[in-house]
Amino acid sequence: MQGLPLSFTGVKKAFQIKGQALPVLDGLDLNCPAGSFTALLGPSGCGKSTLLRLALGLELADAGTILAGNENPAAMRKTGAVGVAFQDAALLPWRNVEDNILLPFEVLGRQPDSPDHIGELIRLVGLEGFEKARPAELSGGMRQRVAIARSLATRPRLLLMDEPFGALDLILRRQMNLELQRIWSAARPTTLLITHGVDEAVYLADRVIVLSNRPAGILANIAIPFERPRAPALFRDPEFHKLCDEISAWLEPQAEASSR
Amino acid sequence: MKSDRSWVGTAVLIASILLLWEAAGHWRWVADGTLPAPTAILVRLFAERGEYWPHVLATLKISSLGFIIGNLVAVAAAVCFCLWPASERLMRGINIAIFAVPPIAIVPVLVIALDAEVAQVTLAALLVYFPSMTATLAGLRDIDPRIADLVSAYGGGRTKMLLLVRFRAALPAIMSGFQVAAPAAVLGAVLAEFGSGARWGLGTYLLGSLGRAEPDRLWGIGLTATAIAGIGYVLAAFVAHITTGTNRSVTLIAPPRSYDAKQDNAVSRVAMGVAAILAPFLLWQLLLVIAQLSPIIAKTPLGVIDYLFFSKFSAAAQVKILAALAQTIPITIIGMLIGLATAFALALISFAAPTIMRALLPFALVTQTMPLVALTPLAVLIFGRGITVTLVITISVTFFAAFVVLAQGFALIPRSAFDLVDSYGASTLQKLRMVAIPASRSWLFVAARLAMPKALLGVMIAEWLATGRGLGNLLNQSRGYLDYGMIWTVALVSVLVAIALYQMTNLLDRLTSR
Ligand SMILES: Nc1ncnc2c1ncn2[C@@H]1O[C@H](COP(=O)(O)OP(=O)(O)OP(=O)(O)O)[C@@H](O)[C@H]1O
Ligand SMILES: [Mg+2]
Repeated sequence: MQGLPLSFTGVKKAFQIKGQALPVLDGLDLNCPAGSFTALLGPSGCGKSTLLRLALGLELADAGTILAGNENPAAMRKTGAVGVAFQDAALLPWRNVEDNILLPFEVLGRQPDSPDHIGELIRLVGLEGFEKARPAELSGGMRQRVAIARSLATRPRLLLMDEPFGALDLILRRQMNLELQRIWSAARPTTLLITHGVDEAVYLADRVIVLSNRPAGILANIAIPFERPRAPALFRDPEFHKLCDEISAWLEPQAEASSR
Repeated sequence: MKSDRSWVGTAVLIASILLLWEAAGHWRWVADGTLPAPTAILVRLFAERGEYWPHVLATLKISSLGFIIGNLVAVAAAVCFCLWPASERLMRGINIAIFAVPPIAIVPVLVIALDAEVAQVTLAALLVYFPSMTATLAGLRDIDPRIADLVSAYGGGRTKMLLLVRFRAALPAIMSGFQVAAPAAVLGAVLAEFGSGARWGLGTYLLGSLGRAEPDRLWGIGLTATAIAGIGYVLAAFVAHITTGTNRSVTLIAPPRSYDAKQDNAVSRVAMGVAAILAPFLLWQLLLVIAQLSPIIAKTPLGVIDYLFFSKFSAAAQVKILAALAQTIPITIIGMLIGLATAFALALISFAAPTIMRALLPFALVTQTMPLVALTPLAVLIFGRGITVTLVITISVTFFAAFVVLAQGFALIPRSAFDLVDSYGASTLQKLRMVAIPASRSWLFVAARLAMPKALLGVMIAEWLATGRGLGNLLNQSRGYLDYGMIWTVALVSVLVAIALYQMTNLLDRLTSR
């Protein structure tokens, strides 16, 4: 199972708010080769989630082409090759943890790969004992972990994650980072990770893309040179910190001005 | 805590009403004993319990059948409307007609066109259909967009969305629709028995007891019908509670809002509108063709037009219809306006003094399950056969329905809006003027739309039974004379009047919202 390539070419998108056009993307080009790991950073409201929704075909571009696995996104998602974790957990309130993770299989009309597949995922995100709990009985971070498990459940070839670790504490976040790296290294799905955590982006990704404010364009495209597998000790490496500082500088408001 | 105290308030209110009633009955304060004491009514009811059973059973049978069939059709229709929004626009004319028509106007027509029992079930089902369909459709449509995105992201189409998300998400709404529909089925059954000359049923029993001057008997029947409707409501609430784990008290279903069709071009919008207007007439024609009735007794749409404009009866018919309209419409509008104004005023007062609201609201909710047709004769007993009784019925029907809507509307005004003006030291009066009144404007129109068919029904029942005026009376007379043309014409005119009033309310709503 190979990762699927994902590419945006000249993509434009504007929303109509009270008759006024709000340009969100204005001719964006972004290419994620098969099996790559791209982290997407950018100021709040710049259009990161919109980009992800475009990649899924949930939103249609005004201009430009988006190809997911060399197909149009709406066609691609029917193949069941995609795994997604939205910014908010989007759990079905009447289903328990297990059944929420099972949902993609039911939509796709498939069975989980092995009888204990769901159990493994639940252990992976540290929710053992909560299999039968309803979302209302979980904390915000626990709900997010269910969504992470669900995004991985179908062994996707294209993995789209929108701030999946936003509600987790630092320790848990690191732990989830390690798990995600492990899973990604084993299966190599093409991954697009939206995050506000610079260190997390550097630790996980092959390259980090920094988007500018609306309309979003690519402000910086930074290759991450560290060898894989990356050990947790990397988080304490001076080189690592240097790279993080460099990327953070791109996120400062004046960075945009000086780049023009 | 709060809800506990509100129940105490309601209990005190109801107990005082009962005590007052008992005293009024005991000492014959009202209209020479036409208001018997509750104990006297119960004694009579108990003494005649043997006589009640066959009637109660017949009504139960009709209303349960109507409830089941009406709900099946309603849920199926809601699923269609949800999957194919165009179908809803096509059926809009039919839906509004079903919502707005005073059901009594179509009883004679149904009785002509169908077997007595089928006609009764049909009426009960018709009254069930609307609240159930609207609630189900709202529930099916109103799903969490994030969950919808998720299912789409995994390639789920309309069917998966319906099966995995919409049905389950709509369950509470469907259940609350059933709650409103249960008493509506009883109303439909009693109303249809009333006009169909069926042998058994509380409606028949009521009609048979009308001529005899026995207030306690009439009260007994009215209370029994109310009790059945109330039990239906409570049963539906109980089922809702065990299936969804909630029992929100949703008693009223808002009438349909105009469908937002801005994505279409003008031509297809007009075409849709015309089709929606024609659809009810096509359905009418189609049903008659299926029923294979003689054109003498079953008039098609064209038949009615012929009767009203081109036949030898048309001059006389037009005079009668216009005279009846001139009697029915003004009183309906006046009564509704008074009822709405009173409800609005009381809602505002109880906003300043919430105890009133808390005590009155459950009581007002209970009145919403009472079958109007069984209560009208009681009002006639007390207020006589003049115009007063019509006015009293219209005002009280409008008042209670509107009060419930307004109370629920007020509860939805965000606390923070009040806190904001509060923090600038606003007085109660200022809070009313700046927040409560503007925020409740749209609720006033919801209340008006909702109360309108009920008010029209109340007026027509009173006219039919007692006052000898207006459309209700014309309908009853034409039944007696076997004037089929007139029966169909009155039914059509009533529907048109109801829709016109409904659209006028919409227009006012739109004009004042700018
Ligand atoms: N459906 C919509 N209708 C109108 N405007 C929208 C819609 N979705 C997004 N927007 C607008 O598009 C812009 C980008 O939104 P988006 O959700 O993509 O931001 P984001 O980069 O994900 O921000 P955050 O980091 O806060 O999640 C915002 O200004 C938002 O107001
Ligand atoms: Mg976002």
